[in-house]
Amino acid sequence: MSPLPANRRAANRLAAGGRIDRSRTLAFSFDGRRLDGHPGDTLASALLANGVKLVGRSFKYHRPRGIVSAGPEEPNALVELRGGARREPNSRATVTELFDGLEATSQNRWPSLALDLLSVNGLLAPFLGAGFYYKTFMWPAALWEKLYEPAIRRAAGLGRAAEAADPDSYEKVNAFCDLLVIGSGPAGLMAARTAARAGARVILAEEDFLPGGRLNAEALEVDGAPGHLFAARTLAELAGLPNVRLMTRTTVFGVYDGGTYGAVEKVSDHLPEPGPFQPRQRLWRIVARRAILAAGATERPIVFGGNDRPGVMAAGAVQAYANRFGVAAARQVAVFANNDGAWRATFEARTAGLGVAAIIDVRSEVPPALLARAQALGIRAIPGGVVTATRGRTLAGIEITVGGRREQIAVDGLAVSGGWSPNLHLTCHHGGRPVWDPRLAAFVPGSTPPGLEAAGAAAGRLTLGAALRDGLEAGARAVADIGLIVHPIEPPKAEDEPAGIAAFWHVAASRGPAFVDQQNDVTAKDIALAHKEGFRSVEHLKRYTTLGMATDQGKTSNVTGLAIMAELTGAGIEATGTTIFRPPYTPVALGVFAGHHRGREFRPVRLTPTHGWAERQGAVFIETGPWLRAQYFPRPGETDWLETVNREVKAVRASVGMIDVSTFGKIDLQGPDAGAFLDRVYINTFSTLPVGKARYGVMLREDGLVMDDGTTARLGESHYVMTTTTANAAKVFQHLEFCLQVLWPELDVQMASVSEQWAQIALAGPKAREVLARIVDAGTDVSDAALPFMGVLGTTVLGGVPARLFRVSFSGELGYEIAVPARQGERLAEALMAAGAPFGITPYGIEALGVMRIEKGHVSGNELSGQTTAADLGLGRMASTRKDHIGRVMAARPGLADPARPSLVGLKPVDGAARLRAGAHLLPPGVPATTANDEGYITSVAYSPHLGHWIGLGLLARGPQRLGERVRAYDPVRGGDLEVEVCAPCFLDPKGERLRG
Amino acid sequence: MAEMSSPAHPLSHTRPIPAGHHGRPGTAGVVARWREDLAIATLAARHGGEAALAAAMDAAFGLALPAGPKAAGANGVSALGLAPRRWLVLASQRPALAAELAGLGGGAVTEQSDGYAVLDLAGPEVRAVLAKLVAVDLDPAVFSTGDVVASSLAHIGAVLWQTGEEPTYRLLVGTSFAAAFSHTLLAAAAEYGLDLADAGRGPEAGRGTGRG
Amino acid sequence: MRIPCPFCGSRDAHEFSYLGDATPRRPDPAAPGAEAAFFDYVYLRDNPAGAFEEWWYHAAGCRQWLKVARDTRTHAITGAVLARDVAAPAAPTPAGGETAR
Ligand SMILES: [Zn+2]
Repeated sequence: MSPLPANRRAANRLAAGGRIDRSRTLAFSFDGRRLDGHPGDTLASALLANGVKLVGRSFKYHRPRGIVSAGPEEPNALVELRGGARREPNSRATVTELFDGLEATSQNRWPSLALDLLSVNGLLAPFLGAGFYYKTFMWPAALWEKLYEPAIRRAAGLGRAAEAADPDSYEKVNAFCDLLVIGSGPAGLMAARTAARAGARVILAEEDFLPGGRLNAEALEVDGAPGHLFAARTLAELAGLPNVRLMTRTTVFGVYDGGTYGAVEKVSDHLPEPGPFQPRQRLWRIVARRAILAAGATERPIVFGGNDRPGVMAAGAVQAYANRFGVAAARQVAVFANNDGAWRATFEARTAGLGVAAIIDVRSEVPPALLARAQALGIRAIPGGVVTATRGRTLAGIEITVGGRREQIAVDGLAVSGGWSPNLHLTCHHGGRPVWDPRLAAFVPGSTPPGLEAAGAAAGRLTLGAALRDGLEAGARAVADIGLIVHPIEPPKAEDEPAGIAAFWHVAASRGPAFVDQQNDVTAKDIALAHKEGFRSVEHLKRYTTLGMATDQGKTSNVTGLAIMAELTGAGIEATGTTIFRPPYTPVALGVFAGHHRGREFRPVRLTPTHGWAERQGAVFIETGPWLRAQYFPRPGETDWLETVNREVKAVRASVGMIDVSTFGKIDLQGPDAGAFLDRVYINTFSTLPVGKARYGVMLREDGLVMDDGTTARLGESHYVMTTTTANAAKVFQHLEFCLQVLWPELDVQMASVSEQWAQIALAGPKAREVLARIVDAGTDVSDAALPFMGVLGTTVLGGVPARLFRVSFSGELGYEIAVPARQGERLAEALMAAGAPFGITPYGIEALGVMRIEKGHVSGNELSGQTTAADLGLGRMASTRKDHIGRVMAARPGLADPARPSLVGLKPVDGAARLRAGAHLLPPGVPATTANDEGYITSVAYSPHLGHWIGLGLLARGPQRLGERVRAYDPVRGGDLEVEVCAPCFLDPKGERLRG
Repeated sequence: MAEMSSPAHPLSHTRPIPAGHHGRPGTAGVVARWREDLAIATLAARHGGEAALAAAMDAAFGLALPAGPKAAGANGVSALGLAPRRWLVLASQRPALAAELAGLGGGAVTEQSDGYAVLDLAGPEVRAVLAKLVAVDLDPAVFSTGDVVASSLAHIGAVLWQTGEEPTYRLLVGTSFAAAFSHTLLAAAAEYGLDLADAGRGPEAGRGTGRG
Repeated sequence: MRIPCPFCGSRDAHEFSYLGDATPRRPDPAAPGAEAAFFDYVYLRDNPAGAFEEWWYHAAGCRQWLKVARDTRTHAITGAVLARDVAAPAAPTPAGGETAR
């Protein structure tokens, strides 16, 4: 885009002034129209400078809307920024920093902003009043999805989301400080400076890209110089201090427990796209010992007919556009106000070069000094007047009523001020309730979250001198609280400008729709209707009318809506209450909460010690919890996974195979009481286990249900190593720590997780011993006599690598688990492959492991469901009756000891070709499939290549007594219904001869 | 930035990022080096055995076992306080560390040399990068040389030890997390540039191959 | 929320896992009425509004169980101690179901 010639000025750009860089021009576009602005502009100021007044359509009625504010409270000027995957809807033009090449598009209009066919909603306005959503779409409910919702979304949708994945990245950062100052206006600057000079670690967070707050927007002097120079000086001092972190473009949006604050930093939103290696936004978690909320105040409107016409703005915004941006928001403005501050705003605008037709003040008594000043500036003052109507597509004139007389005034801008509301939102995040201050006609902070104090305008100190002093004092209090010494600082000199106000909310006798919430199109009439229909509670009013529920969260509308309700009830504002605010203070992109944890980085993936080896073997991997494990190892020519798994199972059963089982939890237990401790956490006994032996153990929760199982080996007199299931490793460790630290601190046991230390490979199959014998170092005897079933041996392998050999089996075959230090895992795998080559050693994955354990009837995760007892799983007889253990007492409850409970059985289809499905319900044959007839379900299934048909494990009522019976496996979800035979839960080698071979 | 989160990521997530320069070109803000030469063991005192253990450590290594989350070191051996009466002991060029410790008596010793992947971290931006990963205050006013923190770094359990004033840190994560952590570190450090030196192994060697 | 771990210092609550009320004590499994006592121990919990002592496990840090004093109305945490330092031996459970202290 080509910039304007340097000598040309945009139509409404004032000749001088503003915190903008007039030496540089930025080109941007709005609805395809090319325009120019300057560095320092917002999109809104640049649009106004170019005379663009109509910027959007309203949410419900699609009324034309213009810019009303100069800050984050903006309800109207919401635009779409950028395009494609970076498209961001609902961006407030008033806080969007202008950049070269910015593309903005108006929203909620179709087909164009000027001719919006959807504004037909406006004709339906009488039907779209308060409770519209509730009343219209109540019945019939079936039409919701098909009819109402799409129609509402089309007609009332608030912007369009991008359809492609967000290409940018987000990240999270932690920060800690003594004092967090939220807002860099006069109070925030003074608080930060006071604390910083005392040596406190200070974070100063400012939402705007230009710190200084209203010092940039107003022309008041501090220490005899323009306020913005004072701000710049103070910021320069803070920037030079090592104990201060200045954060611009950073919104503190939430206060959480323990002095934790959430903030979002818009790192790259002011750039066409993030710079290389830069995130778009950062989520800051700030832990602060003290915080000062110096977020300023927001100007309120006065509600009157036609108050949403483009050209009607907040008086403070007109002032800000003139002083900060050098922009005349209109050429000829009138002012409608109820307070002194608006007069001063008017004088500043006039001084900056705007034409001012009149100041209409609802008060009949206005301070004489203001009247005199108006006169001096040639401004017509109209005390005791109100605005009763507006006209023009964009504002062309207003009708005022004063002393019963109506008068038309031709203006293209109307600056409105109903007073200022402290930005106290964050003080409510711990349930604090704002308090009504009738002197200010505003809510001020009530109780605040621990450690947080409001200061300056946010605390209701609305004049400059008071805000500066209040910030200084709050900063001094905060540092004194944390034990630092504050040296007295003289507050800067500034006047306490006139700030008188008379509460005034609504021109009842005005014509045309009078909007309270412009973003959600809630009118004064809607509030009256809600009142008529019996709504009194503010929270109900809010939900019924949707007042304050759009993206601006009612920053400008809540208090006014409440005040109108209070007028209707006659109860007064105090008695009517306030809505309280919850986090977040402003909308926050969801991406920033995820940070880097998206897609592949959603959570850290754990790799087994043999991962690289498995990759080279062509493994297909699967996520099991955090782990990436080999699922199966397909070979060329194999067409589906079942073919692969069948081959792997057969190879193990016929010769030998190997699998990485390092993911099991491994816990090292040492100490004189280790055996006694294990006796208390397992149902069976370990104190009597001989050194050099392993034993299968089952542990219960205290409620009597099974928690986990695994083998535990005794390595020495007072040294054991326990294995847990992969899934429960952390849970079991935590449970054991609870037992040791809370229940039995007298037991002298030291625990350490060794899950990461050891790579563990299971070697299984009739040839397993022969393979093992080839990798152990000379002198290690692995014969059945030296290393019998459940034997354990510490030795070395591969020429000096320390190793632990466990003769255990999950597959039902002769099996060993070989543990070596994790870094030796791949070497061990390669060595086993080489040693097993003569036997055709086959790597297998967790699918084949699952098949073999089902064939063998070993329980696993599906059976250890947290709802089964040891007896349910056929393990009840393991429990020692000679000792107590966790869960023993509760496991004896009648409900858990009931022999009719569903218990573990094997299942096979009567039709040998039929496929079983896990999850199918078990029913007696010939009865209706009802819950009352349900007798259990199938927990695990597998195709057994050994048997040539599908097999399953299940939990069946009185199962062990029903071997040979036929039951029905009913699977309504997947349409399965077949007959199965109940059998013992072991399909292979029930005597265990293979294990002991 | 697309490099850090795009599905077409050129770096494999199933192996650590390769040695070399990553992220912003130029002088690296963070310099990292894998350490493969350290022997590591956990040491826990038996009930009532703290004094005897402390005396034995003093006699054997001239090392005073720290009482809190601190590191104490002497003669190439360092003990990091992880919990009351529990330490992580690190030593370079001392492969029999665990056996030496076990020989002292009075404590439970567990070999962990292969349980941790260890990174030494330095560089002008290392503190800023760690602030993205760990929710613990690392400001020099409250965390300085010799301080140790066991915490979670971007959801990965880790031990972080400030080893020098510049500052420099030593970081230990579980071996199985080494690849994931290296990617996380890169994501956090890319804006400043990251120089990663491996421990003398080729870039294709995943963790889990033999040492040295 | 921040929890002041006696060993590690102040840490975010994300590092901890929560168990609940620290008041119930594991009953003596050999005492008469053990089943009823265990039922209470396992299932019955007070849900007070106000001061509360509860078990938290510093999973990401020192792996110590802490007894944390928290106000359930404000989430204000007034202190935390190591379980080991305050847990008097519970009713022990030696082999044979004998009781001893
Ligand atoms: Zn801790």
